[in-house]
Amino acid sequence: MIVSFENRLSRFLGTTAIFIAIILVLFPFLWIFLESIKPPSLGGRPDIWRFEPSWENWHEIVFNSNVPLNILNSFFIALITVVISLICGAPAAYAFSRFRGFQGARYSILAAEMMPPAILILPLFLLLYKLELIDSRVGVITAHLTFVVPVVAWFLIGFFDEVPKDLEDQAMIDGYTRFQAFYKVILPAVRPGLAAAGIFGFVLSWNDLFYSLLLTGAESRTLPVAIAGFWTFRGIELGKMAVAILIAVIPVLILSYSIQKHLIRGIGGSGVKY
Amino acid sequence: MGQVDFKNLRKSFGSTNIIDGLNLEIHNSEFLVLLGPSGCGKSTTLRLLAGLESVSSGTISIDGCDVTELEPRDRDIAMVFQNYALYPTMTVEQNIGFGLKAKKMSPKLIKEKVNEVADLLGLTHLLNRKPNALSGGQQQRVAIGRAIVRKPKVFLFDEPLSNLDANLRLEMRAEIMKLHRELGATTIFVTHDQEEAMAMADRIVIMDKGLIEQVGTPTEIYFQPKTRMVAGFIGNPSMNFMKGEISKNSELKLPIGNIKVNTILNLGQHIDVGIRPEKIKLADPKRKPNENIVRVMVTNIELLGPRAIVKMEHESGQVLTSVVDHDEIGKYELGTNISISLASNALHIFPKIKD
Repeated sequence: MIVSFENRLSRFLGTTAIFIAIILVLFPFLWIFLESIKPPSLGGRPDIWRFEPSWENWHEIVFNSNVPLNILNSFFIALITVVISLICGAPAAYAFSRFRGFQGARYSILAAEMMPPAILILPLFLLLYKLELIDSRVGVITAHLTFVVPVVAWFLIGFFDEVPKDLEDQAMIDGYTRFQAFYKVILPAVRPGLAAAGIFGFVLSWNDLFYSLLLTGAESRTLPVAIAGFWTFRGIELGKMAVAILIAVIPVLILSYSIQKHLIRGIGGSGVKY
Repeated sequence: MGQVDFKNLRKSFGSTNIIDGLNLEIHNSEFLVLLGPSGCGKSTTLRLLAGLESVSSGTISIDGCDVTELEPRDRDIAMVFQNYALYPTMTVEQNIGFGLKAKKMSPKLIKEKVNEVADLLGLTHLLNRKPNALSGGQQQRVAIGRAIVRKPKVFLFDEPLSNLDANLRLEMRAEIMKLHRELGATTIFVTHDQEEAMAMADRIVIMDKGLIEQVGTPTEIYFQPKTRMVAGFIGNPSMNFMKGEISKNSELKLPIGNIKVNTILNLGQHIDVGIRPEKIKLADPKRKPNENIVRVMVTNIELLGPRAIVKMEHESGQVLTSVVDHDEIGKYELGTNISISLASNALHIFPKIKD
């Protein structure tokens, strides 16, 4: 095979660009990992690269801190948020997908997403305060639903669009009600979409700092808030923070990788396609 | 049983009338084909009968029972869709049994009935497969199996053969007809393929723009078309048409000359005159009465194996198409003038309706 000089040059430049991009993305992870295994005596010294690895930060976080409780809180809040979001979002997405009146209607779901969270937090705070739900997991879940439900619904519209309408017609002729047709035939057909939307919603809730910071106290504190908490009056506890960050990032990485195939379809899939 | 009655059926979307006052009686055990160009309302008629669309006005009854307002599940019908609409997450067995499950039948009985149908359609070895692991023809069979397992009063088919290749289409066509003979259930079949309609139907309903143009047996539809639309729609190659008017002594004044016919139409009335391509013959030297000889030039010959399509042009510019048997084709030569004969009794006369 003869490869021309231009071809080789463009391939070389392309590879180099990708290589640089990968380094830019991965370097912070490497750096955080190194921080996490630095002995505490070298904490807060990012300039030191040669040291004796130590697991003291990890030991400290796992056994002598509130981080395990924070993880549990984050996990519980994200899980319940996602379950409710799917229960509400799937029928909503189905309705928008089958609705043929006004094509732009589906974009109205995104209106909730476009509002800055700062607008919602004040009424939400007052509401939860009156209901005595500040510093409770229920309060945080309520807040998270405001942005996870629309995202999950938006994400699913594209998947429902791809299910032929004949399927529910057939089920209704076969002796089922429209709602039965929806949950016996249509929902199973979009299972990959449900899984992907669920994971996407989970990650959104898991990563949220804004609402959690303002609505949680010691009891319901989530992992991102705990991570931010390592920035103390005495300075940043970089080593411990690094450990907590890694713990927070790992599930996100695994989950995102598992749905990468459906991710693009979900995010872009509800757009123009007729 | 399975007699279907449409009375003054209307369906409109906004200001567009899709079905515009349809009256039709479909007899018990009949194989009725709804035929027409796309957008004529035939699929909508089927969906109205199935209950998948709501009726704007009029009534639909099955066996004398008004079903206009009933849900699809309460109408005792089965439908086969163009894309088969097999449930993608279920196996063939579950697909066929799904309708029986809705009737709360015991799993044992369901299995028995599913096996019976699978046996009838040659699907037994495929029962555990998912639809995406089946060929087009097999998917079609599953869709038919799912319809017949419930033993409904009426079967509806919405262009079920149009996604199959030519050979398979012929095979499934024969199979559907055989099933209809064996099961004897009323069948309403929608298609835009006239050959399919002619081959399968007891009666054909030709629709255009939401209205019925003609109802009749395939023979009636072909040989006695009632409207110009039907005459032009049925037949391949399609009927030749000439514009003309009635002149004195009930003669037709046409571009190719005057032709004498028996007609009750009035003097001066504008008409379309049609003649089927196979009715245009070479003029016989021994001229018979009622034959009209016309000189034309052969402009094109398409050989199609057993027959050929010959295009010819009259000096007035009128173009005629004729179908010629293979052993006759030697008598036609491109670019030469020939004499053809148009039998008066083969002419179809359609008065022009002023818009």
